[in-house]
Amino acid sequence: MSSFGEMKGRIIFGAILIIVVIVSFAAYQMTGHMSIEDRYNTAVGLPTEEEEEGGTFLGFSVEGNPALYLIVLGFFCAGCYVAYRYFAV
Amino acid sequence: MAHIHLEDGSFSLFWVMAWWIVALCIIGIALFFLRSKYKPDPQKITIAAFVTAAAFAIFQVQIPIAGGVHLNLTPLIGILTGPVIGTLVIFIVNIFSAAIGHGGWGLIGANVLVNFAEVLVAWFVFRGMKQITTDLFSQAGVATFAGLFAGNLMMMVIILTSGIQGVHQTTDQILAGLSLLAAVNMGIAAIEAVLTGFMVAYIGKVKPGILEGDRK
Repeated sequence: MSSFGEMKGRIIFGAILIIVVIVSFAAYQMTGHMSIEDRYNTAVGLPTEEEEEGGTFLGFSVEGNPALYLIVLGFFCAGCYVAYRYFAV
Repeated sequence: MAHIHLEDGSFSLFWVMAWWIVALCIIGIALFFLRSKYKPDPQKITIAAFVTAAAFAIFQVQIPIAGGVHLNLTPLIGILTGPVIGTLVIFIVNIFSAAIGHGGWGLIGANVLVNFAEVLVAWFVFRGMKQITTDLFSQAGVATFAGLFAGNLMMMVIILTSGIQGVHQTTDQILAGLSLLAAVNMGIAAIEAVLTGFMVAYIGKVKPGILEGDRK
């Protein structure tokens, strides 16, 4: 049951993955290359806006204010440390 | 993923308030369950803290695929914490995302509903997949696909119901545009499904108790 059960799951996952990738690629070809905000604006009929080019690292960038991002993330990390110390996992 | 990427002012004040009220009702129900019927063990609090930090961290990072996308880990939140704690986690992540300038304050209510659909469906499908397969990777992967698909559907329903201010497109045109958008989003769901699958499979190996907690 174990290996058959595993195989069944992999087949279902693989089938979904292939269908999703094909459909998504076709939709991407139809809509073209654009940022996620432009994709939303185009979808609902709003004008697309010129975006300010922020700092990127290897194409990756942070949405919103990077300084605030780091501050909030720091607080979350501190919260995780406290939770881990008191409750453990 | 299906976070609604529209500016404040896209929805009318009525719909902004309507989605906020619905979201607050769901959060209220989650709090009610937490305080009365569903006592989380302390371990869950730590897990909730970790998934909140991880979801916030990854949610803001734009990945250079298909013009820029981001993951949100909501299915993982559902799988690890369940829909009750998961609802509070996504609310916190959405609040802090808006606070740093990612997403409008007025859309938090709508986005909480979108993310709630993702958390709830992913948790539900993850449990259901146990009957079909023993493979954790597949269980989590399929749950992620299902969750993010549900989130996309919720996003479409919310936008079509609310309408967009200052837009003269017909409902059919908006539906067609949103369908293409959702299809592209699902491509990113494939990446998230594989990542979530690996994470859950790994957690299942090193700490299976974490996954089993919500699956009685």
